[in-house]
Amino acid sequence: MKKQYTDDTFLARWISGELTPEELEAFKASGDYKTFKRINDKAQQLKSPSYDKEAAFSELLENIDAKKKTTKVVKLVPNWVYSTAAVLVVTLGILFFMNNRSTHFKTSYGEQLVVTLPDHSKVNLNANSSLEFKAKHWEEHRIVRFQGEAFFDVEKGTSFKVSSNQGTVEVLGTEFNVISRQNYFEVRCYEGRVRVLNPDNDIEVLLESGKAIRIVENKGETWVFNEVTPSWIQTGESSFINTPLKQVIIALENQYKVKIDVSGVDLERRFTGSFTHNDLNLALKTVFEPLDITYTTTGNNTILLKDK
Amino acid sequence: MTMKSVCEKETYKAIFHTYSETLRNFIYYKCGDLQQAEDIVQDTFIKLWKNCAKVLYKKVRSYLFTVANNAFLNEVAHQKVVLEYQKSNVKESTTIDPEFLLEEKEFEEKLNEAIASLPYRQREVFLLSRVDKKKYSEISEIIGITVKAVEKRMSLALVTLRKKIGNV
Repeated sequence: MKKQYTDDTFLARWISGELTPEELEAFKASGDYKTFKRINDKAQQLKSPSYDKEAAFSELLENIDAKKKTTKVVKLVPNWVYSTAAVLVVTLGILFFMNNRSTHFKTSYGEQLVVTLPDHSKVNLNANSSLEFKAKHWEEHRIVRFQGEAFFDVEKGTSFKVSSNQGTVEVLGTEFNVISRQNYFEVRCYEGRVRVLNPDNDIEVLLESGKAIRIVENKGETWVFNEVTPSWIQTGESSFINTPLKQVIIALENQYKVKIDVSGVDLERRFTGSFTHNDLNLALKTVFEPLDITYTTTGNNTILLKDK
Repeated sequence: MTMKSVCEKETYKAIFHTYSETLRNFIYYKCGDLQQAEDIVQDTFIKLWKNCAKVLYKKVRSYLFTVANNAFLNEVAHQKVVLEYQKSNVKESTTIDPEFLLEEKEFEEKLNEAIASLPYRQREVFLLSRVDKKKYSEISEIIGITVKAVEKRMSLALVTLRKKIGNV
């Protein structure tokens, strides 16, 4: 009996009266017909829940009015997008500018500063020194502009250049101390090897660890030392080996923020020794007593020197 | 020939009168929640009014049923569909003996139960056909399926109902 409506639209066609007379006849003869007929008859007596079109329509009109009143105009591009965009542009601009800009570090009298470069190389800046570098593309161009005195601990990597007015130091990964001042350039190599370039005087030197060079009065002189790290970092005193007196005095001025009047002394002397950074009187004594120079403090933080 | 615009109040009202009840029933047959069904009808017509300039008069019916169906799919909690029987036969039935009436009542309850437990795709076809007296072709347009698919669902619905009710 099932096969009569195995055709999957048979019953639908029966409902809509589309069966052929033969099909209908056969269906009527089947046992299922009675139930289906009853289902169909009853189902047609079903009614959907009552529906008041007029009421629904007037409700609809009210709803439309209410919507109109409360409807906000939503802009296609809300205002916050503009402000966000503006903030973004400014931020990106600043970031770009900052990225392209050099980073500056500067120490004043008596100050020291440890600067960590983007590749974790370290620079100890001594008093009255400045350092400048571009953080962007640092890995490719490791180059710093520098003036004053500093100790560099350079991580291995591409060529690292310290460029100053007095010369250039080029390394691959090492530790060294540089002093670059007016008419004075000094490099001490503590570890590895460094190349010191001073184009003005046509000097190009390869320094190994424990060796140092200074360029003073257009002449280069090298010497050997045996410190492991610069004393100005390690013990808080500056040490000198056969250093022109003028440079020692500049170092004193930088550490203690004093002016030293040198008009009364012969500067064509060298000094070997060190002075502390903590005690001006002791420092003056250690430097000038061995050289037979008297020092008197006047006003305005000036120290007057005189040969005995 | 000028096209009828949905934005004209008269046209809009005529559309409402033509479709709103079937639309309401259509959603009701799916979900069994009358309040939800009527809310969806309201929302659907509000949407039609807002977009009246964009909806072609010819496309209004499919627009309405699509929007309503989407709303149904999005938000409606499904409940049991319960329908009442028309009392049109009552007068004739008064002469019939009480046992038959009782049996008739039982059958009605069974049928209602069976309809309620139909899968909604079968139920909406069955009820649109039997209660709203829609032709298969109309149902196919409302639901957006082919006439053949409507006929298959209709037949399936009958078979399912038959199984649930059993022999009588």
